[in-house]
Amino acid sequence: MASNQAPVKLVNESAVEFLTTEMVEAMIRTIKDDAIRLGTDKDPSLGSPNDGTGGPKDYSEGDEAMEAVYYKLEMIGFRVGERLIEKISKDRMRFSDNLDVVKFVCKEVWMFLFKKQVDNLKTNHRGVYVLQDNSFRWFTRMAHDQSSAESVKKVTPYLWFPCGILRGILSNLGIASVVVAETSSLPACTFQIKIAKTA
Amino acid sequence: MANINISCIAIIGKQNNPLYIKNFNPSHADLKYHYIAHTSCDVMEERAAMKAQDMYLGVLFSMEDLSVYGYMTNTKIKFIAVLTVHDVIIKDLDMKNIFRRIHAAYVNHASNPFYEIDSEKMIKSKKFEQEIDAIGRGRALEGGNRNSLPATAP
Repeated sequence: MASNQAPVKLVNESAVEFLTTEMVEAMIRTIKDDAIRLGTDKDPSLGSPNDGTGGPKDYSEGDEAMEAVYYKLEMIGFRVGERLIEKISKDRMRFSDNLDVVKFVCKEVWMFLFKKQVDNLKTNHRGVYVLQDNSFRWFTRMAHDQSSAESVKKVTPYLWFPCGILRGILSNLGIASVVVAETSSLPACTFQIKIAKTA
Repeated sequence: MANINISCIAIIGKQNNPLYIKNFNPSHADLKYHYIAHTSCDVMEERAAMKAQDMYLGVLFSMEDLSVYGYMTNTKIKFIAVLTVHDVIIKDLDMKNIFRRIHAAYVNHASNPFYEIDSEKMIKSKKFEQEIDAIGRGRALEGGNRNSLPATAP
């Protein structure tokens, strides 16, 4: 019987990196633009996005605009994750339990997205999983001073899209979850997946 | 794939909502296939809990001259194929191939960013309908000579 496998299509990795970095910048730019235009951006110390200094600004927590950026990037990641899992899990056996799903994420999904596996997986067996990646691929080409608090803050928005991807993957497999990411020293980062307890 | 006559292909979403139902056999009313798809939901959930590994769930049940085959994906989307059985033995491999093609068509459709995966609306897409149509009428997409005709009314 003839095989109906379409030839595997590959995407250039640099294109993906450029797209994801620019996506974060574009979101920040457009949301701050909107905020200024609508007069809701009341904090003058943030400066205008067009003040010519270029590069990422200091992203302080609790800023409304940054929350909007977080929401948008995370939702984009969510929708990408949903579709990604449809494609990846097409030829795979069904998952037996949550741990199986998380292990699949650590191995196959990470391999698909980042060409490497997660370096360390920890769990408390009560629904919390910590995925540690010692050299997050999308950070390897970012200039930074190792653990300065500033560079850690600047890099935070770039983790929101991958968090969304993970949440989308889990959600489409029927697992409600919250995914948070943090980085203490670039280029390492950790993703924390909290899976809701089923009633 | 000698003589498989597919009467209906149905796709059911995660919340057990109908996503797509296509009737290939004019001798039975559409409503009957809706009913069959609805009853299959429970059977599939039961079967899936038993057969923990495989996506293909085999024959779910038979009624009158129809037998119903099920397949559940990792993302909890259920595919149902209703066959009109003559006296041929249907091979598992053939059914798995049919479901694999339906799954491929569904994944292609889901990759469309304008399709809302959890919207509970029926699938409306010309390309998807054409692909399902080709599967249901046994028209080979990948070559080969299978020409099973849809069952005619007795």
